[in-house]
Order: sequence, then C-alpha cells, then structure tokens
Amino acid sequence: MGFGIWALGFPEVATYAVAVRGLKKSYGQVDAVRGVSLYIREGEIFGLLGPNGAGKTTLLECIVGLRIPDGGEIEVAGLDARRHTREMHQRIGVMLQSTALQDKITPREALQLFATFYRNAADPTQLLERFSLTEKADATFDTLSGGQRQRLALAIAFVNRPQILFLDEPTAGLDPQSRRELRDEIARLKSDGRTVLLTTHDVEEAERLCERVAIMDGGQIIATGEPRALTTESASMQSVSLSTKPGIDAEQLTAIAGMADVTCDGNRITFRTADARRTLRELTALLDESGIDVLELHVHRATLEEVFLRLTGAENER
Amino acid sequence: MIRGAVRQCLVTMRLYFRNPLAMTYGYLFPTVFLAAFWGLYRFDRVPLVRHIGELLTITVLGGACFGLPTTLVSEREKGVWRRYRLMPVPVGALVTSTIAARYVLVVTAGLLQLALAMLIGMPGPQHPFDLWVAFTIVAFAFLGCGLVIAMMADTVPAVQALGQTIFLPMLIIGGVAVPIASLPDWAQHASAFLPGRYAVETLQACVSGDGIRSTLFSAGALLVIGAAACIAGAMMFRWDEHERFATRHDRAWVVLALAAWAAVGAAAEVRGYITTARPAFAATASVPLPTADAPVSSPAAQVQTLHPTTAEVAAGANPVPAVAAATRPPGDAKGGSPVSRTHPTSWQAVSQEDINADLRFDQLPPDGGIITPIATPGDQPDPLTTESVATLARALPQWAPGSVFDPVQRVRNVLYVAAVPDLLQLDIERYVPAVVYERLGAQIERPELIKILYWIAVHPFDGDDQAVDDMTSLGLPPAAAASPEDVRARAAVYGVKLLGRLTGKIEP
Repeated sequence: MGFGIWALGFPEVATYAVAVRGLKKSYGQVDAVRGVSLYIREGEIFGLLGPNGAGKTTLLECIVGLRIPDGGEIEVAGLDARRHTREMHQRIGVMLQSTALQDKITPREALQLFATFYRNAADPTQLLERFSLTEKADATFDTLSGGQRQRLALAIAFVNRPQILFLDEPTAGLDPQSRRELRDEIARLKSDGRTVLLTTHDVEEAERLCERVAIMDGGQIIATGEPRALTTESASMQSVSLSTKPGIDAEQLTAIAGMADVTCDGNRITFRTADARRTLRELTALLDESGIDVLELHVHRATLEEVFLRLTGAENER
Repeated sequence: MIRGAVRQCLVTMRLYFRNPLAMTYGYLFPTVFLAAFWGLYRFDRVPLVRHIGELLTITVLGGACFGLPTTLVSEREKGVWRRYRLMPVPVGALVTSTIAARYVLVVTAGLLQLALAMLIGMPGPQHPFDLWVAFTIVAFAFLGCGLVIAMMADTVPAVQALGQTIFLPMLIIGGVAVPIASLPDWAQHASAFLPGRYAVETLQACVSGDGIRSTLFSAGALLVIGAAACIAGAMMFRWDEHERFATRHDRAWVVLALAAWAAVGAAAEVRGYITTARPAFAATASVPLPTADAPVSSPAAQVQTLHPTTAEVAAGANPVPAVAAATRPPGDAKGGSPVSRTHPTSWQAVSQEDINADLRFDQLPPDGGIITPIATPGDQPDPLTTESVATLARALPQWAPGSVFDPVQRVRNVLYVAAVPDLLQLDIERYVPAVVYERLGAQIERPELIKILYWIAVHPFDGDDQAVDDMTSLGLPPAAAASPEDVRARAAVYGVKLLGRLTGKIEP
C-alpha cells in the first residue's frame, strides 16, 4: 500500500499513504494553495485544521482528483495521483463537504449503483446496517435528515472498502447527536487500520480524532505535529484569565513584566506569560494597591485551539 | 464498467419515473401536442397520418433539448456529477448511459404518441423498422444538441432559455409545427439550416412515404449534426457548475456544432434539395391590404361602387379583402378619380375591357400562401394525398351541383369544391384547384368561362351556396365549420386565379 519515499526524493525514509509535495493551485489571481507539502502515514488519522478559506478543501480536492493542481506532486496509495487517477479512485474513499445525490434516489439504490463501479465492492446491505441506514434504505434522498445524508455519504465513501479515506468537514452542519455518532464512526476507522485525511475547522474535533494535525492558513501549512506536541510547544507559555471587581484599566498592566497577548474586556483580563508565578505576584500587588478584588483566577496550559488561534491570527496579521 | 453504466442508465430511468414534473414534460406534453394537432387538422380524411412526423419530432426535441440538459444541469448544480467524478469510470461511460436512458424515455414517449394516433384512426407506419432507425437518428441529432446546451448552461433557467432558442425557430420556421409548404420562401431556405426539417421529413417518410431510403439526405444531415454536437458536447464536458467555457477551446466546440447546421444547409442549397414550392411569391398569407388613399374595408364596399344595385351588397357584411382587392378598379388603387364606365348587366355582356378595368391580378393572395393555395405543376403530393385527390376527381363529374343548368351557378358550385378544403385546411387543399379548373375547362367553353368567372368575382354573394352542404359525396368532410360568406369569397378568389390563367394574366 505504501511507497518508498525515495522515489520522490523526500527528505526522510518512511512509508506514506499520502504524500504531497509543493502543491499549488490558484483561481485567477487568488492563490488558494501555495506550495503545500504533506505526508500522511499508513493507518494514521490526520487532521487538516484551518479557518474557512484557508485552502483545506482545495488541497483535498486536488489530492483526490477533483481539481487539477497548477503544480506539485501527489502520491496516493503508491500511485501518482495525477497520472493514475482512475486506479487511485479504486483504492480511496471520499466524503465531500456536501455530497448531494438525486432527490429521488434511495440509499439502497445509491449504494448499489456506486458499488457496481468498483472491483472490491462492499455489500450495500451491510453498509446500510453499519451506518444505521437500514430503516431509511428505501426512503428517497430528499426525505433524509442532514445526519442521515452525511452517514450515507460516508457509507458511499466505504463502498469500495478503501484503505485511505478523505473526509472533508464531515461533521459540519450536523446536530450534536449526529456529530457524536459520526465522530464515533471515524474513531472506529483507526482500529480498522485505515488511513484518514480529515479536514475540519473544529479544533476540538481535530484534537479528539486526529493523531497528527496540520494547521493551514492562507493556502499554506503553518504548523504540523501531534496535537499534544503542538500544545507542548506552547507549554512554556501559560494562559491566565481573571475576573476583577471593579474592572482594571489595561494601561495599568503595562508596568508588569512578562505579559503577552493581553486582552482586557471590562472586568475580565486574559494574557499569556512564560513565568506565571512572577507575573501573578506582580499583578496581585498591583491589584492590592489599586483596591481591586479578584473574583476568579484561572491558569492553564495552552490548548490546541489557542495554538490554532495564535498561529492563524499571526498569519492573518502578517 | 459496462455493468455500472447499465445500472446508472436503469437508475436514471427509474428516477425519471419518480419525478412528476419530468413525467409531465416527457409524456403529457407530447399527448397535448397530439390532441392539438388532431383538433387543428380535424378535417383530415385519415387522422394525423400526415403530421405524425411533426409530432414525433416535437417529442424528441422536447426530450432532448429540454429534458436531457435539464436533468444534467440540475444534477450538476446539486453536485451529483462531482461525486460521480470520484468513481473509477471514464466520463464517456457516464454520459453515454445518461443519454441512453434519455433515448429510451424518448422512444417510449414516441411509442405512446404512435399508439394514441393509431387509436384515433391513424394507420400503422408503413415502414416500422425504418421508422425506428429514423427515430434513432433524429434522437441522436437532438440529444447531441441537448448535450451541448447542458455544457453551455449553468442553471436550469439557462437551459430553458437556450432550449427555446432552438425549439421555437424549428417549430415556427423549421417545418416542425408549420408545414414547410406553407412557409414563405425565405423561411423555407432558412429551414434548410435547422435540423427539425430533416427530422420531420425522414420520420414522415417512414410513416406514410417510401421509407428512410427516400430521405437519405435528411438522415445524413441529421447524422452529421448529431456527430458534431456529440463531439462538441463531449469535449466541453464539465463536472462542476462553475467551469463554463473554462478553456478557450470550448467556444470553438460550440462553433463546430453550429457549423454542422450551416454545412448541412449549404449542402442542401447547393444540391438543390430546397426547392421552394412557389418561387414566384415572397410572402405568405399576405392578403392585400387597402392602400391609404383607396381604403377598402369589405367586398361590399367595392361591389357597391361597381354595382350599387346588386343583391350581394346586403350579404357583404363579412370582410373579404382578397376579393375586394382583386376586383378593385386600377384607377382607384392608384388614387385616381373613379372610372366612369358602363358596367355589364349580365355575364354574357362581360368584355375584356371590363376584366382589364375591374380586376387586379397582382393583388391576389400568393399561390404559396395559406389563403387559396394552388400547387405548382412540379409539386408532387404524397401517395395518400394523391389518392384523396383522385377520389375527388373521380366523384366530381357525377356531383349533382356541378351539373346544374345555370352555368354561373354551376361554376360557383365547382369553385366551392376548391374553397372548402382551403377553409378547412385539408391536406389536399392546394391540389384541388387543378381538379376544379380541369373540370370547369371540360364543361364550359373558354370564352364563356372567362365571362362567368369575372361575373362571380364581382358578384361573389350572388346565387346560392347550397352545394356547400353537399361536399361529403366528394369525399370531403362536412363544411359546417366554414361560413358561407367565407366559402363564397374564397371561391371568388379561386375564380379570379383561374381567370388570370385563362387570360394569360397569371403564369401557371
């Protein structure tokens, strides 16, 4: 399934299910993807995290052959994806951001139809069962709920028993119950040994489901790693939030050393610091002098969301 | 892959039958057209047999130029085709199976139309296998055009707009809804550049003619148009709704599709395939209108000027400008002073001078129009029409009103035989005048006939019209739907047309 990375001259020796190097894609004057390189190991659930418009969907659609990139190399399941697209499609499963089918087609018919095009097709009845669609097997597509449609889209992605799955914002627009069910299904893929590339703008989802994430913004990957490693990188910086009565003027805080990313919103102050003990000592002294009471105080390590916001915020400012 | 394409074809058909709107479009509309044609041509001796080519063409046009692109574009808008793109199947297989599904649906609609037509009395097609081949060729041509429309349109409303730009011209000037022979010359030439004409011809030939072999040019024209359109449609194919004219070649493919239409039209013209039935007239149904300086509102007014005491003045309430214009004194038409001349008091007293002074042959409706049409000598009727005309010609000598003693009434009666098919728009209408003229020529000496025809022209409402009620013995339908005034007026115009031929004023 995998391929030797030497074939592409990549800088490390490993077996990758998906390897992308220097991928570029523009729409007119807009550079949607700017020279992205990405490596996903076999059996890994990889998250592509980024705000809306970051280029995640364009990148995924280039990889799966829905869009023709302007440059770069793509290798999927050991195949040059741009030259052997049809063979690649035999081996991968794709769930698009919005999979629409004909209004009057039923889940059973859709799965039977898609199954006929693959060499190694799964049994449509089993797929209906697995994705809890048996009851709705003969209902027309236009009568399915959003969650049922997403489950059907996922079932279609599984119709060829793929080893690599590409899921584009799979839980977007779903109610909490459907979202939980779909996340459970994705989590099961890991135990099945499948490789998954998942795009999302939901940090919690990425943190919960993915072994590694890449944070994408402005058409580029700005950070890659395990969620824990990314937060550990920021471990030296702790996040502090406190509520006071009365509120404090942000100007007064400038005297305190070591505070970064300060936000002051009425009674609530948040900031990051590399030396929480010292900064808090100086801050409490300042509050004492000013006769301000502390109502709440929280100190915690950076979450992936904060890393994400910090990185993408920095990108946006740049 | 073939198994998948077949299943996709079956699923497409199944979905079609679940869509009430598509069913309405695909089956109800053709049935409505059939009912409309049946009503329009209700006096045809054999119902619809002469118009089934037109009806089938409308069915294929609807299914191909609207049905196919509407389905393709709405699915593409939804993102269905984007999803299809992720399957390990070549685009050609998916498009072919979609078109095949549409072909089957169009065939079923055509069969329904044939069955309904046969139910109301149309005989079965003379060449059923040829008809299937011809239908397939027609479907190929129009489905190709539908594919191009689907690639050009981004939305379903755009499909409707583009479809109409093809559908309506073919209906009106392409020989699909209006018979080619009724069209003016320019439209007959224009129709050569539209595939509808060829579709009607080749389908009709298989139902009531000599089969597809007699319309090889039409069949070939459709194959060329279909091949160019299919190639263009395939080359322009797009999975996404926002990729219209994505490459600069796309517009060139549209040009290729249209170039096939132009090439076929040019070939038809060069080979003399388009021979307008009546080259002498440029306009159709152009009933002469009164000029500003010599307004004529009714024959009554005109006849009154000529013969203020005649009884037909009272009967002239029905406007018949054709007769009026034809009998307008030249002086009046030119805006000159009224002619002071003694008018004949009996038909025997009619002189050449009266004819020259009172009749305007250049104001007559054209023979190629829809009012008082007359076939040219080279205009060969189809076998069914030939048979109908022959039946009438055999019955006419025994027809009692055609042998009454009064020669003027006799001529009137025989002229009514030409007028009634014209008013009822029967298929034989333009061939009957020749039979009538022949009969009159055989019965009455030329000098007398000239005078009588003049007399009828200026006294259209004289005599009686009881003979109009006795048309069924000639194999014609009852003329109850035609008003006696209209029959008399048309008879008078036919009379003037014969008079013109007899006096050399009109080239036959």
